Amino acid sequence: MLETTETVRSEYEPVQGRIAWIEQFTDQDKLYVISLPDDVELDHDPGQFVELFVPGVGEAPFSISSSPTKDGPLELCIRAVGNVTRALDSMEGGDPLGIRGPYGTGFDPEALAGDDLLFVAGGIGLAPLRSMINYALDRSGEFGDLTTLYGCKEPAEQLFPEELQRWDDSEEMAFYETVDQCPEDQTWEGREGVITELIPEAEFDPETTTALVCGPPVMYRFVIESLQEQGLADDHIYLSLERNMHCGRGLCGHCQINELYVCVDGPVFNYPEVRDKSEAEV
Amino acid sequence: MTERPRVAFFDFTGCEGDQLQVVNLEERLFDLVEVVEVVSFREAMSEHSDDYEIAFIEGSVVTAHDEERLAGIRENADVVVALGSCAAFGGINAIRNDQDFETVTERVYGDDADMIEANPEARPIESVVEVDATIPGCPIDREEFVQVVTGLIRGVEPTLPNHPVCVECKLEENECAFHRDEICLGPVTRGGCGADCVGEGTHCWGCRGMVDTPSEDAYTAVLEEHGLDAEEIVEQYQLYWGWQRPERATQEEAQ
Amino acid sequence: MTVRAVADSSVGRVDGMKTLAKSEFETLIDGLIDDDPRSVVGPQRRSGQYVFEELDSAADLALEYDLTALSPKKYLLPQYEQLLTYERTDGEYEMHAGTDTEGVIIVGVHPYDLAAIEHLDKVHIDTMGDEPYRKRREDSLLIGLTMQSVAPESFAASMGAATTDSGYDLLVTDIGDRFVVDIGSFEGNELLADLDTHSASHSEVQEVRRIEDDLRGRFERELQFPPEELPTLLAEHYDDMEFWESYAEQCLSCGSCNMVCPTCYCFQVETVRDLGGDSGYQQRSWDGCLLEEFASVAQGENFREEVAQRHRHRFMRKGLYVYERYGDVSCVGCGRCTRHCVADVADPTDVYNDLWEATNA
Ligand code: SF4
Ligand code: SF4
Ligand code: SF4
Ligand code: SF4
Ligand code: FES
Repeated sequence: MLETTETVRSEYEPVQGRIAWIEQFTDQDKLYVISLPDDVELDHDPGQFVELFVPGVGEAPFSISSSPTKDGPLELCIRAVGNVTRALDSMEGGDPLGIRGPYGTGFDPEALAGDDLLFVAGGIGLAPLRSMINYALDRSGEFGDLTTLYGCKEPAEQLFPEELQRWDDSEEMAFYETVDQCPEDQTWEGREGVITELIPEAEFDPETTTALVCGPPVMYRFVIESLQEQGLADDHIYLSLERNMHCGRGLCGHCQINELYVCVDGPVFNYPEVRDKSEAEV
Repeated sequence: MTERPRVAFFDFTGCEGDQLQVVNLEERLFDLVEVVEVVSFREAMSEHSDDYEIAFIEGSVVTAHDEERLAGIRENADVVVALGSCAAFGGINAIRNDQDFETVTERVYGDDADMIEANPEARPIESVVEVDATIPGCPIDREEFVQVVTGLIRGVEPTLPNHPVCVECKLEENECAFHRDEICLGPVTRGGCGADCVGEGTHCWGCRGMVDTPSEDAYTAVLEEHGLDAEEIVEQYQLYWGWQRPERATQEEAQ
Repeated sequence: MTVRAVADSSVGRVDGMKTLAKSEFETLIDGLIDDDPRSVVGPQRRSGQYVFEELDSAADLALEYDLTALSPKKYLLPQYEQLLTYERTDGEYEMHAGTDTEGVIIVGVHPYDLAAIEHLDKVHIDTMGDEPYRKRREDSLLIGLTMQSVAPESFAASMGAATTDSGYDLLVTDIGDRFVVDIGSFEGNELLADLDTHSASHSEVQEVRRIEDDLRGRFERELQFPPEELPTLLAEHYDDMEFWESYAEQCLSCGSCNMVCPTCYCFQVETVRDLGGDSGYQQRSWDGCLLEEFASVAQGENFREEVAQRHRHRFMRKGLYVYERYGDVSCVGCGRCTRHCVADVADPTDVYNDLWEATNA
């Protein structure tokens, strides 16, 4: 007879990580730099996500912001909007938490090799794209021209300010930035207007360019339309989508878009995969 | 929140059954006072202090005096928790809200009715002050109380389950009251109680309030199917939802 | 279960069949209750319905049952389960996967529920790897039972799940004064080792076949078309919102149809804190796609806000989505959803036949 009391080591058991340090970007958004135990390697693709467990509070999925081209701790850029994120918001360097993953289908650098890459990031959508942006910068030889468009609501919501500055200064990548509008109590010298306005301005060759898009749900439809107007074929567009992921493993059903599981088949999709799925809302 | 927050319990118009549930935590009460410092709790102690961070409020608001007292508590407390259905959404006290007030007082207090200085309606505390968390139930579920308290200490914003009682009723494998030709409010009532009443052989009375988006038309059709006329249907809704249901309707209209 | 042709009972399992006295079967079950460390569960009568419950004695088995409230899925994927426990000591967290994963001996499982478990196996063991499920499943024994009564809500025959020739360790058929037992696994065979059995005679085997054939004609409900056509039919009607709304209007969004379904396996995970504050666990519990918040995200967006969208999702998932991924239609026709829907709008045969008629009228 089979043993009935053997302990299970399951996929649902996280490893204990530790907050190495935290960088505050805005009132709501922080970068959490998390060190993992020495014997654990994350080994992720850009665009994949982890499930982060705050004991006593719960678990939530977060896209990985760091690039696999860099050794070192895991970076997650997180907005405090739910219980787990608010609990994180009150945590400090040295605090322990649980991590499992990486999960999902991210960007496939091999499939993108040789392409010109156009990153379109709206708001917190920069968090997952940053992983691929830095990957492309670190291995710029593998790709063609690089361009990043970034838009957020207002100057006070800007993420990764120092890095954006470096991108802006960089020869390796063209960088365009906008804010929807600048309230009177803030200062902003750059341009105002929604992110779609940057698309016709950016210089890219639709034949050789692949767009990688991530932002709030309302953004996709407009960005896609604008990219299409510039002559980009549908299969040259990749989207990273967000859903409510409980298991991260294609079981709990929460992340389903029609027959697709965002946690397994995504979060990164080639646009034609989700184009006709009404629940994708793209 | 401090490491071991100071908490106080207050009762308004209600039966104190919810505080009793807290007392009934029994041995776990000792664990409770490990994590919080109880500074005021009429059910269990005689001392009282106005220095507290979390205020648990039981009972609904009925008099002008209630309103003042509640406003004072709100000023003292960082976190106000509505404890039980009367505080959360008017509860069973609101049964009389759509009835003629004088008839009600006369029926309840007879000749002394003149001396009663109550407002015509029983209202939840949220109609007077801002409420940070709600623990519905008549009486409350002890486990839910524990989760809310430990959550508050941990900085978790308590969220109520928003599935109907039927979910837990199925998980418990109770026989459905409708199968016995009884009426049950489970399909439109907020779950979280483990469908206790159905488990005990009766049906759900709606004591935890309505789910966020009750399918009221579909549910009314079910009741009609089971032979209830319009008046009987309203009676069903009225036991616990005398304040909540009209309030929901007004809000929906406003949108 | 796989969309399979209604089983052809002429092929098969003659060699494996044994006959035993009913009292011998009781001896077997009572022996397991007494000696096996696992709990032994089976269908029993409880206040107005049948439920699978732990057995005190074989005599409590209600083998005449038509349909239990929940399916035996609850032993493999419990309603509530600790997925992970945590405890803090000196600023360090110990985090452990749940250990409550003991196998169970399940007696009296009807073929449609066996088919449902085969489907769950495919998802949780073969494809996705859910460790708690795998552990319980592999440590469990399934003693199947040919149906004696047919629930009026059931349409298992249409789904090819009224009878089965796989998915069990033993399959028992009552042929009147004796049981004929088909052996489905090595462990099943072991169970019979100490009992007084003999090889089933030709006529006993014929009798089992006759019972099974007869059974397939006893269903009151049926699908008007072969289940293989479901995926295409559903895909065609995805955008037919009028159709979905006509059902959704009467739907209570109560989730009962999800909860009672033997092939549903969606779940949610929540934190349960101990009062002390330093320990607790992550609890997985059954969830359902008909419930309002199932597809909503932390920021407040709900990707299936309308009841009609959720209603559609349930049927799409059963007949199309799961089929595309796993090659199984994820409905075995047990009829539980029909029985438990207070509003009487969950019946898959109603919905699927209506769609069929809309296309083929
Ligand atoms: S008894 Fe009530 S709560 Fe339970 S399933 Fe039936 S209607 Fe729902
Ligand atoms: S079953 Fe209904 S009445 Fe009973 S405790 Fe639950 S919500 Fe209250
Ligand atoms: S179909 Fe029936 S059981 Fe399912 S959610 Fe709607 S009312 Fe409830
Ligand atoms: S959908 Fe209904 S009939 Fe089909 S398996 Fe589930 S509960 Fe049974
Ligand atoms: S997160 Fe559970 S199925 Fe995708």
